[in-house]
Amino acid sequence: MTVTQMLAEIALRFSTLSLVAIGGINAILPEIHRVVVDVEGWMSAAEFSELFALAQLSPGPNAMIVALVGWKLAGVTGAFVATLAACGPSSVACYLIWQWVDRLRQSPVRAIVQRALAPLAIGLILASGYTLAVGADRSPGAVALTAIATAALAFTRINPFWVLLAAAAVGVSGFA
Amino acid sequence: MTPIDPDHSPLAVISRATLFTSFLKMGLLGFGGVLPWARRVIVDERKWLDDRAFAELIGLCQVLPGPNVVNLAVIIGSRAHGPLGSVIAVSGILLVPVALMLVIASGYASVAHAVAVRNAIAGASAAAAGLILGTAVRLLLHTRPPPRGLVIGGTAFVTVGVLQWPLLWVLVVLVAVGIAAEWRAGSPAQ
Repeated sequence: MTVTQMLAEIALRFSTLSLVAIGGINAILPEIHRVVVDVEGWMSAAEFSELFALAQLSPGPNAMIVALVGWKLAGVTGAFVATLAACGPSSVACYLIWQWVDRLRQSPVRAIVQRALAPLAIGLILASGYTLAVGADRSPGAVALTAIATAALAFTRINPFWVLLAAAAVGVSGFA
Repeated sequence: MTPIDPDHSPLAVISRATLFTSFLKMGLLGFGGVLPWARRVIVDERKWLDDRAFAELIGLCQVLPGPNVVNLAVIIGSRAHGPLGSVIAVSGILLVPVALMLVIASGYASVAHAVAVRNAIAGASAAAAGLILGTAVRLLLHTRPPPRGLVIGGTAFVTVGVLQWPLLWVLVVLVAVGIAAEWRAGSPAQ
């Protein structure tokens, strides 16, 4: 397969998944894994896991795993093609839906829907934090770091950057 | 819900440069999750939205396809500068971090097995989970949902977080139940 063919494949595969990514890229991760590893055999399961770990280490939204898969398959261009394919269609849909929602500004229906969605969003944010904590907290020290960071963000206005940096510094000693 | 009102909204007067740098900041600092940074920059630093409006908007972003913070960039960007605003905000939060990540990925192999690096990452990962948990607690304290909201949010947490049920089905059920409960609770007067 030429690079151009590969880029076209990536664009096609990821853009068709974009509109079903309700809940973000994590929702389509199993499907991406199935396509990339099982169906197409573009990389091994171990390579995929390594890319996932790397994506976790990087800044940016969790869509980064998509960019890394594209990078592995077709270099820097592949990374951007994969990212745009995975996030483009959903972003356009979001834009169009928002234009419509925005016009309902005075509608009591919109107020009701928004009030219903807010606590749901908070519950899901809590769930994603919990899922990450289960993966990261493999020692009492790590649990303590998670607890301290939780309290710092919930009850103080400290910059999260210092919390992360301090945790990394404490971690170097093998605490976590 | 006044913060989304166009005539008085601080979102309507964001410059393009501020839009880009704000979302860039969220993207670049969002190690282990962008959401804590999104809330901090949008609510605390720029005061574009209050906690309640932020929670409501992120709720919408959550049920639409695509990463919630990218959807947030699309919406806030469009509020400020139409389609171009969306492109500016998404570039900041997504495309620049991709470029940075490729640099990190290129250098990663050479340091991946150093014990100090692995330990530092373990510490930061544990804290990153806490940043997200703390953001949720903060939103909870500042928006004070009624008991029906706590039930919906609590159910979402237990089913998706603890039980790891598929998100799509949980959303279908909880969105419907949540809207029905709000509807029954009556008028939008808050």
